[in-house]
Amino acid sequence: MITDFPSRPLPLPNADELAAELAAFGGDAIIPKDLRRTLFPVITKEDVFNLMLAQRSTPQKVVDGFAEAYRQYVGAGYALPTASGTSSLHLALVGAGVQPGDEVIVPAFTFIATAQAVVAAHAVPVFVDIDPRTYCMDPQAAAAAITERTRAIMPVHVHGLPADVPALRALADRHGIALVEDASHAHSAKIGEQVAGSFGDAAGQSLMADKNFPLGGEGGIAFFATAEAHGRAADYLERHGIDYGMSWVAAAFGTSQLARLPHYDEIRARNAELLGRALDGTGLFHAPHVPEGHTHAYNMYRITLTPDAVGLDDLPVWAVKEAVHELLVAEGVPAREWQNTPIPCHLPFQHRDGFGNGYPFTLNPGAVRDHRPEDFPVTQGMLDSTLVLCRELRAPVEYERALRYADAFAKVARRPDAIRKLVEAGDYRRPYEKAARLG
Amino acid sequence: MELFDTATVLTRVLTSGVVMSIEKSDRELPGLERLLSKQTGRAKAVLVNSRSAAVHTALAGQGIGHGDAINRPGLGEKDRAFLAWLGIELREDAAEGEPVAFDHIALDAENAHRLGELAAASTAPALVVDLTGLGFGPAAAVLTDDPVQWARGERLKIFGAYDLRTMWTQEEESADLVPGVQFNYRLSPLVAACVRMALGQAKRPLTTSGAAS
Ligand SMILES: Cc1ncc(COP(=O)(O)O)c(C=O)c1O
Repeated sequence: MITDFPSRPLPLPNADELAAELAAFGGDAIIPKDLRRTLFPVITKEDVFNLMLAQRSTPQKVVDGFAEAYRQYVGAGYALPTASGTSSLHLALVGAGVQPGDEVIVPAFTFIATAQAVVAAHAVPVFVDIDPRTYCMDPQAAAAAITERTRAIMPVHVHGLPADVPALRALADRHGIALVEDASHAHSAKIGEQVAGSFGDAAGQSLMADKNFPLGGEGGIAFFATAEAHGRAADYLERHGIDYGMSWVAAAFGTSQLARLPHYDEIRARNAELLGRALDGTGLFHAPHVPEGHTHAYNMYRITLTPDAVGLDDLPVWAVKEAVHELLVAEGVPAREWQNTPIPCHLPFQHRDGFGNGYPFTLNPGAVRDHRPEDFPVTQGMLDSTLVLCRELRAPVEYERALRYADAFAKVARRPDAIRKLVEAGDYRRPYEKAARLG
Repeated sequence: MELFDTATVLTRVLTSGVVMSIEKSDRELPGLERLLSKQTGRAKAVLVNSRSAAVHTALAGQGIGHGDAINRPGLGEKDRAFLAWLGIELREDAAEGEPVAFDHIALDAENAHRLGELAAASTAPALVVDLTGLGFGPAAAVLTDDPVQWARGERLKIFGAYDLRTMWTQEEESADLVPGVQFNYRLSPLVAACVRMALGQAKRPLTTSGAAS
């Protein structure tokens, strides 16, 4: 029988384990080796049944039904379902009026797809730094990057926290340019009661199976504020012979998942709050910042380290981070870096070959820069001093698992001596000195 | 393919819990790659999420990009429009019998059992197989014997990572193969599983499903 059940349930937390030896030095791990897997997406009998039913319908009806249900959930004007998040971003840009050779302002910290979608639209990404608290695009940096050829600003709601939309909207309006969201991390994220994906002139969003709102494998959706923008994107596909259509198999799975999305969102919020309270009690670790009135979707959970709080201020923060990383992984909490260098330092934006022979960068040579990590000091500082939880907290994990995560952080924070020992013995490098990784 | 068989395949994959294409433990995508390789007699398969993605992959795999010209007579309007979008010109001056950049086959329920035969007639360095007509949504593959073409194709469809299963921890070994523009052209394992069963069954004469057979 194929099954994704673990061999046994995770034991309830036990305060004695906190004082035991660190797993990296031979003690027992807070989360035992055989119980580390977190299931995502959660697949239920409703998902199976809905897929069976979908076979009796037509592919077009299944995909359209899904897109309309989700459009209503987001509260966007118009929707175009796609095969991936990247293709949805491409279409969002096209719908917003981006033309070959235009400049589109994107954050230096995101997944590479944000910037590649700009290239797909035959436009040129212009990278700007992020805000030190939200890790989303810094509106002042965006303002400074605007030129005559800027056609759109594309903020990313990083990790699920909405960017500073009011400031960016005002900036875009001042210059008569478009605001396009990359909402790929931000399903159900909100500012006030408004849902991410409905803020901008257009938005793109990934719905691949590892996002908070997963479809059956791969998928995405583009949203548009006006019928005109939607029409521009639809015509573009037709005119250029591009197939970006969503499979009915992916859509049918999404339809039943959508019904349970608010439930999983609530569990993510609960677990994030629980862990946040525990982290703030450790001194060394700090929960993500959430501005008043914003609802974070917690697609990822980025934890900040402050070594000075535990007497490690003489050590470089990135080395402390590496040591803590090792200790946490040994305890069974698979924290990671998720991005180790600004996106403009990845090979495709260093070489700028694009579609070949430098196109579309050749259309606008004035917009391209040879960037180094130091050009984005806030991004660099964040990469040096933070660690990320991904699927292990995105999944609606059991209460006892969330408690055990908290215990693992507390256990590690109690041992500055061990962190110091590792840093002194370790051969650590700053994140950006390693080869650029996708995530 | 019978609805019952599709239902069984979809249920099997959902029960495995693995529906993501960049999951180490996914078995569906490698399974379809192997089957297509076997049926077409080509060494390597790149699975993608649409026909236009496959055309892009076939050309980028050969290092053909914006500003280049290819020989490929007989393309329809849609493919011509897509090539123009890629910035690739169609040569009008090619002599009869000159090698073509890619061949293409569109499969459906009627001709799926003839894939081997159709592939055997193709001589181009890249063979685009459009799987959309099998009925599970947009899907396609590029078949080739050239390992470099395959490596470039894999990297185009997943932001430069050549191996879906280790993409997160990969150190770059062949920077020269990293494409400039990169897409997400990945195929869903659920779709791949259905396609695989459809192709597998196309080898056999049709039977009705369940107790009736
Ligand atoms: C911020 C961001 N934008 C875009 C994408 C691209 O989405 P997809 O992989 O569905 O093409 C992703 C994730 O993969 C992402 O994290």
